[in-house]
Formats: sequence, structure tokens, C-alpha cells
Amino acid sequence: MKERFKRQSFLGHDSDRVLANCTVCLVGLGGGGSHVAQQLAHLGLRKFLLIDPDRVEETNLNRLVGGNAKDATKHSRKTLVARRLIRGIKPSADIEPVSKKWQECHQLLRGCDAIFGSVDTYRDRYELEVTARRYLIPYIDIGMDVHPDGDQFSVSGQVILSMPGALCMRCLGFLREELLAREAENYGAAGERPQVVWANGVLASAAVALFTQLFTPWRRGGVITPYLEYDGNTQTIVSSNRFECMKGKRCQHFLGFRDLGDPFWIPQRISIPA
Amino acid sequence: MRVAFKITGTLLGDVYHDLRRPHPFAAERVGFLSCRIGALKPDGLVVLAHEYHTVADADYLPDDAVGAMMGPGAIRKSLQIALSREVCMFHLHIHEHCGRPRFSGVDLRETAKFVPDFWHVRPHMVHGAIVLSIDSIVGLCWHPQASAPLPISDFSVVGAPMRLIREEK
Repeated sequence: MKERFKRQSFLGHDSDRVLANCTVCLVGLGGGGSHVAQQLAHLGLRKFLLIDPDRVEETNLNRLVGGNAKDATKHSRKTLVARRLIRGIKPSADIEPVSKKWQECHQLLRGCDAIFGSVDTYRDRYELEVTARRYLIPYIDIGMDVHPDGDQFSVSGQVILSMPGALCMRCLGFLREELLAREAENYGAAGERPQVVWANGVLASAAVALFTQLFTPWRRGGVITPYLEYDGNTQTIVSSNRFECMKGKRCQHFLGFRDLGDPFWIPQRISIPA
Repeated sequence: MRVAFKITGTLLGDVYHDLRRPHPFAAERVGFLSCRIGALKPDGLVVLAHEYHTVADADYLPDDAVGAMMGPGAIRKSLQIALSREVCMFHLHIHEHCGRPRFSGVDLRETAKFVPDFWHVRPHMVHGAIVLSIDSIVGLCWHPQASAPLPISDFSVVGAPMRLIREEK
């Protein structure tokens, strides 16, 4: 094991090899995704697919890990800021930055071993989960929100691990038809959503912990809690009651063979060496 | 060309459980996985295991020369699955040892006989064969455009824990 990883040797004697061989996709490289990118680079990941269509704005600098004033002035691409951040920790990292909407390059996600989603809308989450399930990829969703609470505010968030074969975000009650419909009605009217660095950091850390438990578990038979709720007012993270109610049940949404793979796979698209 | 194979840990557990059941006369069991396919960029494919199909006791033939010999009923039923469900089929069996398994000469000879038959019902799909060991997997994939079976280079067992089994370069 390399000197760099000795302090995390409890993750397993070959954990550095496992993590170095793992390809992760980060969709969304703002407040949440930039924290995740940084932590995964420290952890020893070296293969990254980074997707975000946005450029850095002045309003991002309250939380964008790795972003600086120059990036805001130059409107640097967030994917390139994340690449610089990762390369600063792991110069040999193999990074594919894609400055597009993930739906425009969704085929690239199929080759990944895990997907982190730090996206703003329920619709994006829903579509990312469908894509991840279709190609048997664990999907880790993080999100935070600030709600008006009388004349004050409530800070909350969630981390959800959607494992193929296990309960999905619809089973867990996080994605619901009425939320998707309401969001569609208000499309374009949501405005700037409040985001803060510490809540993003807590949620990103919990997401990276779930990922690490999954790929390099440090306890045999350790329990993975797939739906964590963050209460930013009391600074606590607990297993969601929604998950506790559904424990032991099977997903009812991704069952059929048509939910897997390409809807129409055409072998002619692939060139085979003679 | 990269060929990847993914299966959930739960489904793989079911496979091991079934294949380890003793048979009245065969020395080992075999089974089939129905799978779907996805294209990988820039050049590759991923096979996604969906469901395990056991071979019924009555569909084995007595044959002292091999661990398990499938009768025509086993092949016919798996062809029927491929035909009716728009899936590709992968044959599998276990070599009960640790470490990376290999296809034996008999495995290669026999799979080469029946795997291409799946193209009669699903000509535009890949089909294949997999050998499991106690802790590893190898596989071959028959592609409609390839003159010889392609090795599966990446296996992922999707569950907790995740297992990534990569072909050693």
C-alpha cells in the first residue's frame, strides 16, 4: 500500500487498488459535487467522469470547493475547476470533463461503477436513477434545501443510495408524482435556491462514506443505510423514517427485463477487430 | 473491444445456491442467465444479468464423460426464453475452487456447440458462457459480428459490498 493511503489501511489491504480501478461519474459540480470530487480524490479514486454544463459565477463562490475569484471573473467551466481540484491532489488522475447537460452525454455514464448526483431538480434525479438502474450502477443522490419557517428558515437535506435491485427513490417516497408535476408546472420560476457550504459538506461527506462502505467496507456485515436525512437546524443525520417503514420490502418499479440495457441494441454500431 | 458483465449480488447468490444443489445423478449443475445489453462508448458493450433460469433435474442426461450434460429439453427451454423475452442468454456453471477459473477443453467444446444456436432465435444479440469459481468469474461472449468468442474483461457484482473483477493485463 502506498504511503499516501497508510492512514486508511483499515479499508482493506488492496483498497487502494480497488478504488483506483473504480470509475465514478459526478453529475453536478457545484456546492455538493465539488466537495465529493475533492474527497474522492483524497480517498484514492483516479478515474472520473465529470459532467456539468455550467460556468462559475460570483454567486457560486460561497460554496464551490476549488473555485476562486479568478474563476468567477473568467466564468471558468465547473468541470475544469473540478479537474484542477482533483489533479492538485492526484496528478495522475484519468479525468473526462464534459461540459454538457448529462442527458446529452448519457451514454458515457454506462461505463461507470457509481454515479453521484448533485442536481437541482426532481426530474433530473428521477431520470438519473432510471439511467443508473438501466445499467446496474449504484446512484448516490445528495441535495439540500432551505425552507421558510415562519419568520425563520429551516435547513435540511438528504443522501440516498439507490442500489440496483433494492428500494428506489420512488419506493422510498422521495420522488413522488405530485412533486414531479409541481416542479414541471413551476419550470423556470424556481429562481436561485439557497445553498451553503457547510450543509453541502456534511451531505457530500455522508455520500462519500456510503460509497466507501460499498466499495471498501471496513466492517463485515456492516449495515448500509440508504436514505439519510439531514436536519441542518440541529446538525444531525438520521436514517429516514421512510426507509425504516420500507425496510425488507422489494422495489416495485424496476422489475422487468425491459428496464435493463439499451431499448434497441444494434450490434452493427460496434466495430469488432478481425 | 471492452466487454463488461454486471449482475446484482442477490441474483448471483441465487445462482450459487441453485448450482450447488445436488443432482440425482449429474456431478454438477448448470443454468442460464437471461440478460440485456448496453452499448459502451467508445467501443464496447455491457451485458446486464436480469434473471436466472434453472435447468430442471429431468433435463440432464447421464454421461460419465462430463460433470453435467444437458438434454435437448434444457436447450429448447432456454431458446424459448430468448425468443419470447428479447433477451440474450448466458450459460453458467461452477468450478469449486478459489481464484480465477478457466474454461476447460470440454467447456470450450460444448459451449461452442450450443451457444451459437441462440442466434437462431435472437440473431442480433450476444450470447455466451460463464464459469464461476468460489470467488471469481470468467466469461466468453459470442458476438454476431465476431469470428471467435470475445473474453469478458470486466465483471461487476453490484451489491453491498461491490465487487469489481477486472481482467489482469
